Amino acid sequence: MDKIEKIKILYIDDEVNNLHGFKASFRFDYTIYIAENVTEALKHLEQHPDIRVILSDQRMPDKTGVQFFGDIREKYPNAVRILITGYTDIESVIDAINLGNIYRYIKKPWTDTDIKTAVDQANQYYLTTSMLAIKNQELQKAYDELDKFAYSVTHDMRGPLLSILGAINIAQGINDLADIREMLGMMDKSVQKLDTFIQSIHDYYNLNRGQMKISDIKFDDLVADLKDIYDITGRTDHTAFDVSVTQTENFRSDEMSLRIVLNNLLSNAFKYQRKALDNKFVKLDIQVSNGNACIEVKDNGIGIDEANVNKIFNMFYRATSEEMGSGFGLYNVKDAISKLGGEITVDTKLNEGSTFKVTIPSK
Amino acid sequence: MPDTVNFIIIDDSKLDCFIADKIIRNTGKAGDIKSFTVAAEALDFISKAPPPVSDKTNVLLDIQMPVMNGFEFVEAFEKLPEDIRNGYNVYMLSSSINENDLNRVKHYPSIKQFLNKPLTSSALAQVLEGL
Repeated sequence: MDKIEKIKILYIDDEVNNLHGFKASFRFDYTIYIAENVTEALKHLEQHPDIRVILSDQRMPDKTGVQFFGDIREKYPNAVRILITGYTDIESVIDAINLGNIYRYIKKPWTDTDIKTAVDQANQYYLTTSMLAIKNQELQKAYDELDKFAYSVTHDMRGPLLSILGAINIAQGINDLADIREMLGMMDKSVQKLDTFIQSIHDYYNLNRGQMKISDIKFDDLVADLKDIYDITGRTDHTAFDVSVTQTENFRSDEMSLRIVLNNLLSNAFKYQRKALDNKFVKLDIQVSNGNACIEVKDNGIGIDEANVNKIFNMFYRATSEEMGSGFGLYNVKDAISKLGGEITVDTKLNEGSTFKVTIPSK
Repeated sequence: MPDTVNFIIIDDSKLDCFIADKIIRNTGKAGDIKSFTVAAEALDFISKAPPPVSDKTNVLLDIQMPVMNGFEFVEAFEKLPEDIRNGYNVYMLSSSINENDLNRVKHYPSIKQFLNKPLTSSALAQVLEGL
C-alpha cells in the first residue's frame, strides 16, 4: 500500500519550550512546522501553502493569535485554525469565534489527547470542506457543459434535420431527376452529420460517466481494427495511410478511451485533407517505452490557423467550415487523455498539415 | 417590388445554401445569386464589390457557423462604410430556438428580420413583398 503522507501542521507560540515540547510529542503523527513569531509563521505558510491545520497561541508579543488568524484567513482560507490560550480570557475567544476565525479552542496546559483529537477533527473538517469545494467545481463544470449542450442541440441536431426537411419540401416540386439525386447526396451528408454527432455524445457520456476498465493493451491489435477501416477511407480519397507500432513492453490502460483518442485523431487527419493535393498522407506512429505510450498522428492536410489553434479542444469549437465536424471530437480526445493521465500537443501550420502528439503513461 | 432581386446566401451547410438557392429561383424573381459557405469570404466580397445602387441585395445569413459566425459577420459588416452597408438587407436565418440568440438579433440595427429554418417559399414571398 502507498505510504500515506503525513498532514502538515503549523504551531506558533512565543515560548520556545512549548514549541519543542509540541514537536517532540507529535513529530511521528504529523509533519510539523514551528514558528516563534508571526513573521516566521508567514514564511512557513508561503513555502507550504498545503499546511492543513494551524495552531496558534493567543498571547504573543507582536500580535494576538486571534489577530493573526484574522490576517491570514483570506490568503489561506482552507487551513483549519485552532487557538491555544492559557488565559481564560473569554473575550478573545468570543471574538475569534464570532469572526469565524477559529475552528477549536484548546486550553493551556494541553494534554496530548486534546491536541490529537482537535487536529484529527480539524483534518476531517479540512477534507470535507475541500471535497465540497471540488464537488462544487465539478458541478459548475457540469452546469456549464449542460448549457452549451442544450444550445448545441438546437443547432447540431436540429440543423441537419431542418436541412433535410427543407430539401424534402423543395424535392416535392422538382421533376428533374438529376436535381433530385444531387439533393439526395446532400441529404445523405446531413444524416451522416447527425449520426456522427450522436456517436460523439455517446463517447462523451462514456468518458464522463463510465468506469475505466484497465487491461493489457496490445497496440498491434488495436491498430489492426483501425487500419481496416481507414485503409478503405484512404483508398477512396487517395490518401496514403502509413502505420508503425513499436511495442516491446507491457502497457496497461483503458481500451475504450484509447480507441476514442485514436479514432478521432485519425478521422480528423483523413477528413481535413487538401483535396487537390497529389501526395496526401496520414501517418500513425506508436512507440511504447519506459512505461509510456507515445502516439503521433501526422497529416499534410489543411492545417489549423495559428489564431484558432488554442481553441480546438473546446467543446463545440470548429476551426473550419470544410467537412461536417461536430466540434465534439477533439474535446472528447482531450477529456480521454486527461482521464488517462496523459498529455496532448499539436504542431500545425495552415495549408501544410498537422501533427498531434499524445503521451500516455501505463496504469 | 422590383422585377428581379439579387441575393447573397451565407451558410456553412452546402445543403442549406442549395435549398435557399432553389427557393429563390422558384419565385421567378431571381436575379444574381451568390452562395458562400465561409462568412469571411462573403464579407470580403461585399467590402470589395461595388455597392448595389438601384435595388438592394438581400443577404440570407446563418447564425452558427465555424470560425466566423453570423453575429461576428454582422459586427464586421456594421463597420463597413455607409455607402456599402446601404446596398444590403441582412436577414438572419437560423435553426436556433435559443432565446439569447433571438434577443441578440434585435441589438443589431442592420439585421432586418429573423427567419426560421428551413426557408420556405411562403416566408421568402413575404420578404419579397416587404421590399
